[in-house]
Amino acid sequence: MDSVLRAAAMYLALLVLFKIAGRRSLAELTTFDFVLLMMIGEATQQALLGDDFSLTNSILVIVTLIGIDVGLSLLKQRSSWISRLIDGEPTIIVENGKLLHRRLRHARLVEADVMEAARSSQGIEKLEEIKFAIIERNGKISIIAREN
Amino acid sequence: MNDDSEHPDLSSRKYPVREDMAYQLKVWRFERLGWYLLVLLMLLGLAGLFSRGLLSSREVRSEDGRVSVEYEMFHRNGSTNSMKISVSGAPESTIELQLAGEMLEGFSIETLQPEPVHARSSDQGIRLGVQTDTQGQANLFITLRGDGLGLFRSRIVLPGTRDMKLNQFIFP
Repeated sequence: MDSVLRAAAMYLALLVLFKIAGRRSLAELTTFDFVLLMMIGEATQQALLGDDFSLTNSILVIVTLIGIDVGLSLLKQRSSWISRLIDGEPTIIVENGKLLHRRLRHARLVEADVMEAARSSQGIEKLEEIKFAIIERNGKISIIAREN
Repeated sequence: MNDDSEHPDLSSRKYPVREDMAYQLKVWRFERLGWYLLVLLMLLGLAGLFSRGLLSSREVRSEDGRVSVEYEMFHRNGSTNSMKISVSGAPESTIELQLAGEMLEGFSIETLQPEPVHARSSDQGIRLGVQTDTQGQANLFITLRGDGLGLFRSRIVLPGTRDMKLNQFIFP
């Protein structure tokens, strides 16, 4: 019984924690983000398995995790409210070459982040060449260039 | 935050994606409040709310001073903490100490040092006979591993002294 509860509690706790961290937190994996992710995984692993390293326990934990994940995706399909709650919504941060500063501040982003995404995805050099920049639900910044 | 809702930057756009900025502002507020909560949890953790720290480590003494107990008020399931019981009595004699209440339901005793002269079960827990030294002092070091969850009320009973009550909480 406790393995299922452990896995469910851990899933929910991580879901809430990553909601608090925001969608950007692990979207662009820097070297340090990768190390951080591994450390989180390491800390989680002990709590998930406890002192029971049996095959049954690990399969039960994995079954629970995948079960909740599939269940949530089914719920998301049925209810747009839940989908919005879990996945969030895209947000525009550059409009017709102008930064929406208030939004950037709330999203904990700076102009350099937007320009980095513009250079790497579209080869754009100046802010004025951007028509729209949007923080997508997965935290990546997508760039739509202006037509000349 | 008040002028946020009227600022043109924060009104909802319809193209190229349909936005609901009122909702997005709530999400951002949640992230900010969540961060405060994380900091609070870190501080509480440092202070010892989740075992081992100022809030958790206790030392209690009986009114007549014959028994004193050092213990952790907060434990975590599966982790071990120590408890020290000091008693005083007649020199070179055996004192019978009783661990009663819910202690043995919530914890398992991993080590008990020095080994008691005798140990037997009683209706409420276990009775341990400890040998005092030439000054009449005896110490008992116990390592407890938290097995249960929740609050456990226990008592340490020494005949002739008022019972000492210990409350211990085990986190999951």
